[in-house]
Amino acid sequence: MRIDLEHLEYVYPHGHRALDGVNLTLEGDQPVALIGQNGAGKTTLAKHLNGILRPTNGRILIDGVDLATADTAQWARKVGYVFQNPDDQLFLDSVRKEFEFGPRQLGFDQDLIGRRMEQVAGLVGLADRLDDHPFDLSPTEKKFCAIGSVLMMDTGAVVFDEPTCGQDKAGNDRLAAIIARLRDQGRLCITISHDMKFVTRNFPRVMLMQHGRVLLDGSREEVFAREDVLKQAYVTPPPITRVARQVGLHGPVFTVSAFVDAARRARAGAGI
Amino acid sequence: MTEVIRVDDFSFRYRDADRTTLKRVSFSVEQGSFFCIVGANGSGKSTLCNALVGLIPHYFVGKSRGSVRIEDRDVAASTIADLSRQVGLVFQNPFNQLSYTAGTVAEELAFGLGNHGVSRETMHAKVARVAALMHIEDLLDKNPLELSGGQVQRVALGSTLIMEPDILVLDECTAQLDPLGSEEIFDIVKRLNQEGITVVMVDHDMERVARCADQVMVLGAGRVRALGTPEEVFTDPDAEKWGIDIPDYVKLGRGLEDAGFGLSDLPVREDQAVGMIREALR
Repeated sequence: MRIDLEHLEYVYPHGHRALDGVNLTLEGDQPVALIGQNGAGKTTLAKHLNGILRPTNGRILIDGVDLATADTAQWARKVGYVFQNPDDQLFLDSVRKEFEFGPRQLGFDQDLIGRRMEQVAGLVGLADRLDDHPFDLSPTEKKFCAIGSVLMMDTGAVVFDEPTCGQDKAGNDRLAAIIARLRDQGRLCITISHDMKFVTRNFPRVMLMQHGRVLLDGSREEVFAREDVLKQAYVTPPPITRVARQVGLHGPVFTVSAFVDAARRARAGAGI
Repeated sequence: MTEVIRVDDFSFRYRDADRTTLKRVSFSVEQGSFFCIVGANGSGKSTLCNALVGLIPHYFVGKSRGSVRIEDRDVAASTIADLSRQVGLVFQNPFNQLSYTAGTVAEELAFGLGNHGVSRETMHAKVARVAALMHIEDLLDKNPLELSGGQVQRVALGSTLIMEPDILVLDECTAQLDPLGSEEIFDIVKRLNQEGITVVMVDHDMERVARCADQVMVLGAGRVRALGTPEEVFTDPDAEKWGIDIPDYVKLGRGLEDAGFGLSDLPVREDQAVGMIREALR
């Protein structure tokens, strides 16, 4: 899957310019994190990827096809979008029906839906909740129900909007497993997140937005090396990265093991 | 020190629930302290918040045992209105806190005072004071339903603070905000605590908990798993089994110790980590 955004601009009906000329290419299977403050344009950008919003100016190409020439059904097969608030997405009276809805609309046969249901329900941790009403799920389970209903459609790319919001450790671990699974299946995962621990643990590529523009786009190492730009966009690096910088270790460090390696090099270099 | 909260062997099961949400929970909170409650989702944190402010047993029906005391009052024997002068709750989702009858932010802020026979002049003065504290002066004439999430959270906190409670209970009150918005709310809470208000806060951000809590209580499946200072709780060898993501500083300290960098202690806060690691690298 390859997504190209060309000179993308979006102006809301009340006049707010939420996207101000975004050019970027998303390609391959490496998970991408989209970061930046509220109001930076992250959700507006993400909503363009599956046609919830149509650009004011510019184009979106998916595998080379201009989305302006595609109908919504074609679009829905390409990119799945999981809303930040599951209540904006869930509307049926059982988890099973939520899971079946998308693939039915896309014309999947019942056998395939059944097989996918088993995999997806296991992955999102709702295998024993399929017959429950989404209203009876906890807020966390609802979020996984919304994720599951989008995963069911087997789209080439999936967008998660703030999936970690309100999650505990078990929820974050489950999200990490879902993101890794998508990567292993060769599907592109684009995730909006404010949680820099979660971002640096799970996303090799990071894009930073501010004022409707992409300020930085690169590997997490490249992006988190640009402290000046991060600061300007009010992004605080995660704890291990901050400590590494303050004790003078070289380059952005994200994990305990990378920190230990950098500390060993620092000590060797200092001749201790 | 004076105890302002005393929870004694408290258990609670919601009506029609198939399990007990809180099981024999006991703890106390000292006046002016910063007390954090952490634990996995579903461990009983929000239920405990509801019990501290009297929503249990006065609003949520169920079976309870044991007692909850706020200052000199037994919660079960007091009304929510009486308790609201002593303890205020800020909800996880600020939209759950709006009255949905107020047409403006000013009315929303004043809503709780309506039950307390406060004069118009006093009410105006209190609204102005809280609005200044929360930096929402320019929102007073707006409709609460037209505000952003961060603005509603300020209004929700303001409508709790206007009651001038001695104890503030915050149930993941920044979960819906971005980091900047969340730090702004948090700075206000910290300042209130420094001015003497007792704070009980539920939070998933363990680095933040370690930074500001005097005491941390870990709940797991409705029971108290651990209770102590952040250092005691987060450096406990069993802490990773409690369903919480312990602060990265502790993990980093352990990783460095295993690699032969002798640290003077296990850090739980950023400043400790920086100090100890600088020392070890020297």
